[in-house]
Amino acid sequence: MAPDAHDYLLPGQVTLADAGELLGRRLALREGATRSAERRFYDTFDGLVRAAGLEASFENGRLSLTDTGAGSGLGAGSGEVLAVADVAEPPERLLADELPSGPLRDRLKAVIDVRALLPLVHLESEVRELGVVDSDDKLVVRLALERPAVITRSGRRIALRARVRLFGVRGYGEELAEVREALADLGLARAEHTVLDEAVLAAGGLLGGVSSKIEVELSAGERSDVAGAAVLGRLLEVIEANLPGTIADVDAEFLHDFRVAVRRSRAVQRELKGVFPPVQLAFHRGELRWLQQVTGVSRDLDVYVLEFDDFRASVPEQFRADLDPLLAVLRGRRLTARREMVRELRSDRAREAMTSWGAFLARLSALPEEGRPDAARPIAEVAGERISKVYRRMLRMGRAIDASTPPEAYHELRKKGKELRYLLELLGAPLFPGEVVKPMVRSLKALQDVLGRHQDREVQVATLRSLAEEVSALTGGAAALMAMGLLVDRLLIDERAARGEFAQTFHEFASGEQRKLVKDTFS
Amino acid sequence: MTRVLATYNIKGGVGKTSAAVNLSYLAARGGARTLLWDLDPQGASTYLFRIRPKVRGGGRRLIRLKTRPEDSIKGTDYLGLDLLPADFSYRHMDLALGGSKRPTTRLARVLAPLYKHYEYIFLDCPPSISLVSESVFEAADALLVPIIPATLSSRTFEQLEELVAGGPQVLAFFSMVEVRKSLHREVMAQLRARHVTMLGAAIPSADEVERMGVDRSVVAEIAPGGRAALSYEALWWDVKRRLDAAGARGGRGADVNGA
Repeated sequence: MAPDAHDYLLPGQVTLADAGELLGRRLALREGATRSAERRFYDTFDGLVRAAGLEASFENGRLSLTDTGAGSGLGAGSGEVLAVADVAEPPERLLADELPSGPLRDRLKAVIDVRALLPLVHLESEVRELGVVDSDDKLVVRLALERPAVITRSGRRIALRARVRLFGVRGYGEELAEVREALADLGLARAEHTVLDEAVLAAGGLLGGVSSKIEVELSAGERSDVAGAAVLGRLLEVIEANLPGTIADVDAEFLHDFRVAVRRSRAVQRELKGVFPPVQLAFHRGELRWLQQVTGVSRDLDVYVLEFDDFRASVPEQFRADLDPLLAVLRGRRLTARREMVRELRSDRAREAMTSWGAFLARLSALPEEGRPDAARPIAEVAGERISKVYRRMLRMGRAIDASTPPEAYHELRKKGKELRYLLELLGAPLFPGEVVKPMVRSLKALQDVLGRHQDREVQVATLRSLAEEVSALTGGAAALMAMGLLVDRLLIDERAARGEFAQTFHEFASGEQRKLVKDTFS
Repeated sequence: MTRVLATYNIKGGVGKTSAAVNLSYLAARGGARTLLWDLDPQGASTYLFRIRPKVRGGGRRLIRLKTRPEDSIKGTDYLGLDLLPADFSYRHMDLALGGSKRPTTRLARVLAPLYKHYEYIFLDCPPSISLVSESVFEAADALLVPIIPATLSSRTFEQLEELVAGGPQVLAFFSMVEVRKSLHREVMAQLRARHVTMLGAAIPSADEVERMGVDRSVVAEIAPGGRAALSYEALWWDVKRRLDAAGARGGRGADVNGA
């Protein structure tokens, strides 16, 4: 939700003193402090703070989270500070977990989770605080006359238009409406953006950060190669946007989003293979597979470290601290894996893999159609065909699974499920009715959750076993091995539980109703 | 985690409202979202904040969860500090509580939906021993008890400790202290020696405390850096330290059901 601007712009050359006098003609004002404010604003790479209707800022040794009006449900538009924490220096990068425990960490964690706060914009303002009071001299609306300037990274100063900022006081909504009317009567125009948004735009930034969402509009009759190139082009943008943050290890989501976009690209390559010339496709598929492989170990270890608290919580309390050597080993391996991954991602091969893939997509529709039987066919036809085909394939695979089936069969089914999910999200959603696609994604997701748990537990047990020797060599290694034994036991129990849940979720996914819907919609 | 703190004494005129108003102000100034609920039908805290003593639908409906406290909360002049105002109908609160099921849990249930919004909730209580005070004991993590250092105050203190045994933490402090009076000094020394729950900080009898009713403001604004303002700051520091020491046992927000 984009925050509303509750501000009014002041005429170009007016001083804050004159502005105060102007407002005083219509409003009973109480004078507050006049001060210089230096604030540094923060958000995640993908703008989670702004999307929650909040602002995160550092000022005078304090980091605070402020309600811009869309979020808290407590006095919308109040500009009230929801939580603060003392932070000595303006951070260059900050994870919620790095803050001291307290309300700010809790609030922030709920909004940004594992993402890092990064510097967004640096603002210097001259601020004159005023209050509108009622006949009892009670403050009913807060006003701030503000003359802001953005300080760019290179130290350049960009002056922004001065404005009157309005902050409602809880329980005085009518008075706030009256002040708005008065400001409009005085001929002041409503600001289109919050001061933060305006500052971001002035500094050349993007409102709302960089999204990893793939929302490409497609039309049903469009050529399949054009549609495919559009989706894959957007996926490549996401891959490239997340590369620097992956290399710099800003937070774990960069690598995650990078890998998801690579995996989705590979699924589209496979499912729309009839739109590509086979020889070139084989090359680019190989390169994306390589990108997937060189990032895989790092991602797995990221997940182990990030979710280690869940591991810990699954063993009885008296054994939890014993797992520390395991965490140390995982952290060490993660760093080694990262170094290798970063070396590969910085290589010419990686750069070439992305640039050549982009160039290839750009000229795809101009290539001869020989050997590309699906290139000119309408995308809705090709996508529908693929969706129903993959769905039917999953039905066959799932029906063959029973209590004696080896884990690989679950894994294969899960891989197919991912393929179907990407098809539905990337091509199904923009081309077919939402009332069919959405519930289908939902039932598929439920199935994938069960299959994913099954697979994850299987892999985790194997990983723990492979680490046993290294852990045992450390101080406290013997106790750690015992605790790991307990952990393995819990993981195996959960793996069996997931197996037990498979039949029911698959049954829903494969219901007659669902099959008919797929047939009617996609074939 | 929300801490519920009630300023309470069986006797009136001992500095309950001054403590509730000045301490809640300091809590908010320190960056914590804070609410003060003025439970006294006389509405002295409400008056000090220049807010109309009015609760939507009246006290009885509020206590019976027929109206939402959020709808009656007002922002004060101070950032981060809100007030749930007094209402003249609170004078019948004992009757309203008496007519409801499990009356002593009522205030806690009214407060439950507010825990997620506030770090501190102060209750400014009317002087009495009644269903209202029992309900306050049930809702509060700690009672902040102002005590005038005079004869019988020791007795008041002991009665109170007996009354809330097993309930909230009792944190007593000296109020309206006149250091020139030898009697005050003697009583203070005696009580501090006898009760560990007696806080070190003491609030002096000072002009600026009395001026609160005229200026309708907090001492930190009437006489910043004055004796009273500094004493309240010391008291708040002391209270917070005691609360933190009480640790995980105290604190609302996880242990009381909403409805």
